[in-house]
Amino acid sequence: MGYENDGLKMPAKIIEMGLLPDTLFKILYQAPFGGPLYVEFGEEKSRIALRKEEGDFIIVEDLINAGK
Amino acid sequence: MQENNNKQILLVGNPNVGKSTVFNALSNKKQKTGNYAGVTVSSHSGNYLYKNEEVEIVDLPGSYSIYPSSEDEAIFSKFLIEGQKNYSGVVYILEALSLKRGLLLFQQIQDLGIPMILVLNQIDQAERRGIHIDVEKLSQALNIKVIQTNAKEQIGIEAIKEAVFNNEFVTSEKAGFEIPVQHKNLLKADSEHDYHAWINLTLGKDSDSESKNIVPKRLQVQETVRRYQNADKILANVITKKAQFKELLTEKLDKVLVHKFWGYVVFLFILLIIFQCVYFLAEYPMNWIDEAFAWLSEFSSTHLPEGPINSLVSQGIIPGLGGIIIFAPQIGILLYFLYLLEDSGYMARVVFLMDRILRPFGLNGKSIVPLVSGTACAIPAVISTRNIENLKERLLTILVTPFMTCSARLPVYSIIIGLIISDTTIFGIKYKALVLLGMYLLGFFVALLSAAILKNFIKEDGKTYLVMDLPTYKKPLFGYDFKLVLGKVWDFITGAGKIIFIVSIIIWVLSYFGPKQNSNEVVATDVELDHSYLARMGKFIEPAIEPLGYDWKMGVGILTSFVAREVFVGTMSTLYSLDDDAPEGKVIDKMRQDVKPNGEKVFSFATGVSVLLFYAFAMQCISTLAVVYRETKSWKWTGFQVAMMTGLAYFVSMFVYQILK
Repeated sequence: MGYENDGLKMPAKIIEMGLLPDTLFKILYQAPFGGPLYVEFGEEKSRIALRKEEGDFIIVEDLINAGK
Repeated sequence: MQENNNKQILLVGNPNVGKSTVFNALSNKKQKTGNYAGVTVSSHSGNYLYKNEEVEIVDLPGSYSIYPSSEDEAIFSKFLIEGQKNYSGVVYILEALSLKRGLLLFQQIQDLGIPMILVLNQIDQAERRGIHIDVEKLSQALNIKVIQTNAKEQIGIEAIKEAVFNNEFVTSEKAGFEIPVQHKNLLKADSEHDYHAWINLTLGKDSDSESKNIVPKRLQVQETVRRYQNADKILANVITKKAQFKELLTEKLDKVLVHKFWGYVVFLFILLIIFQCVYFLAEYPMNWIDEAFAWLSEFSSTHLPEGPINSLVSQGIIPGLGGIIIFAPQIGILLYFLYLLEDSGYMARVVFLMDRILRPFGLNGKSIVPLVSGTACAIPAVISTRNIENLKERLLTILVTPFMTCSARLPVYSIIIGLIISDTTIFGIKYKALVLLGMYLLGFFVALLSAAILKNFIKEDGKTYLVMDLPTYKKPLFGYDFKLVLGKVWDFITGAGKIIFIVSIIIWVLSYFGPKQNSNEVVATDVELDHSYLARMGKFIEPAIEPLGYDWKMGVGILTSFVAREVFVGTMSTLYSLDDDAPEGKVIDKMRQDVKPNGEKVFSFATGVSVLLFYAFAMQCISTLAVVYRETKSWKWTGFQVAMMTGLAYFVSMFVYQILK
C-alpha cells in the first residue's frame, strides 16, 4: 500500500499508528451504513478503526486476487 | 521535619499500554485506568516515598507522537517539552504487544535529549502469543535501562522505584533520526537541540517556515516513516517468533461484538442489564439505609433534649443526609459497570459501532464515551472530550453531554418514579425500571437532537476524522474497580453530603422560624410549616412554577437544586420530616399522601412527569458549569448552555403538565 498526495491531506495519525506504506493489512469488519473500517495490519496485528474517508487516501494493492 | 529529596518523574507512553496501571501501582493515590484511548485526559500526579526520597509522578495523557492532534495530546507535548527543567526524567512505558508503535514516540523523546528509563509492560501477554523479546538486546540497541513489569500483578514496580532512586535515566547521545541535509541549514541556530528546532519547523511554529518554502506536514510524515523503519531494524534482532499467532480471544470476541447486527444487540443488552441492576440489586441496601436513618432520626428525637437542637438534628440534618446516602448503592452499581466496560477494551468497539450513527448529529464516534460516562457524572465526561480532535465536534459534545442522565438525577428520578408509577411488571420487568430506562433514553435522544440543531450554529470547523486504536480485550480488574467505585461513592457522599448538610440546616432554620405573629417576639419560633419563612419564599415563587404543576415545597426543592440536583431529595426529606401533620414513616410515603388544600394529591401523575422532565433538561449543576467554562474557555457557550437547557426544561414541563392535568 501507499498514500495519495504523499499523505499530505490525510490525518498524520494514520501513519503514527503504524499503517505505513508497504504494510500488509486486512479489513476485517465495517460498521453498517458505510461506517468505519476495522483494519488489522502488520506483524504485531495492530487493530485500528478508521473511516472510509481516511481509507480513501490509501492506495491499495490487492494481494489475494493478484494471486500472490 | 526531616528534609527529603524531591524528584519529579513523568510517565509517558502510547494510550492503552498500561500507563495508568503503572501509575496506580507506583503511587498511593487512586486514579481511574481504562482500556480506552484517552482515559488519562488530564495530567494527574501522585507520589511515593522510597528510601527517604519523595518522588512525584506525573501521569501524562497517552500520545502516539510528539505532534499533537487533539487537546490531550497538546497538553502532553507542552508538559514534556516546555516543562523540561521541572522533572528529573521520563519513565517510558512500552507495551510488549505493540513495540513498534511505541518506539516512534520513544525515539522522538530520546532525540529531544530527555533522560529516560524504559518500562516493558505486559511481557507475559507477548509470550502467550508466541513472541519472545530479548530484553538484553533491546536495552543495548536503544542504549537504555529496561525494566520488565506486569503492573497489574505489581511485578517490577519495586524495580522502577529502585531505578528512579539510582537515577538510572539515560540521555541518548546519537540521534535516532538524522535531520535531512536539505533542511538542516533551515533550522534556527538558537535552539538547544537540532531536533527541537525541527519540531518547531514541522509544527509551523518557526516564524519563517513559509519563506523557507517547506510543507510542515510532509516533514512530519517523512520523519514518522523514517522512525518506523528504524524501529523495524532495531526489533529485527530483538524479537523472535516462536510460533504462529494463535487466534486470540479478541479476534473471537470481535466477530460478535462489532458485528453489523449482533454488535448493537449486545450493546443494548448490556445497557439494559446495567439499568435492571441499578434498580434491583440496589433495592436491598437502599431499604437498609432508609430504615437505619429512620431509626436514627427516631432515636435522636427521643434521646436529645426537647427544643431547637432536637428538631434540627432529628428533622433537619439526619433526614437530609439519609435522603442522599440512600442513593449510594445505585450510583455505585452504575459506576462499577462503566468502569468494567472501559477497562475491558469494549468502549473502543462502541466508538467503532457508533461513529456512523453519531455523525449526522455533528458528533464523532468518540463522543459516545462522554455521552455514556455522562450517565455517571457530566464532570469527568466533559473532560473526556479532550481526545476528540475536531473542535466543532468537541464543543458540540460538551454542550449536549449534560443532557445525559447523570447519577445526581437518579435520586430525583427514583423518588418521583416511585411516587407515580405502580409496582406492576410486564414480561417480568418492572414498569419502574422501564420508565427509568426511558428517562435515560430520553436524555440520550435530546442530547442527539440538540446536537443536530446546534451544529448549524457553530462556525468552527476543521477536518473531522476517526483514526483509533482498537486495543486487545483485557480481563477487567473486578476487585480493583470495586475499590475505585467505593472511593468514588465515598467522594459522592462526602461531596454531596457537605452541601446537603449545609442546605438542610438552612432549610431547617428557615422553616423553624417564621414572621412574628405577636408583637413581643422578634421572630416566631417552632411555627407551623405553612407559616414559616421558607413557606413565604416558596409561595413567592409559586406563580412562576404553578403552570408546571408544582407547589411551594417543590419550588424550594428546585431552587436548592441549582446548587446540585441531588439536593432536591435532601430538601424534600427535610421538608417532609418537618411537617408535623404528616404521619410517621418513610419520606416517600409522606410525599405520596400529601394533598393540596383542595384535596388533590400534590404528586399527581402530571406533576410527577413534569418534575421528571424538568430535571431531565435543566442545567442545575454548578460544578459542571465550572468545568464547561474551563474546557471551552468561553462565557458565551457556558451561558448559552444554561439558558438553552433550563429554558427547554421550563417550557417542556409546562407544556406536558398542561396537557396531562
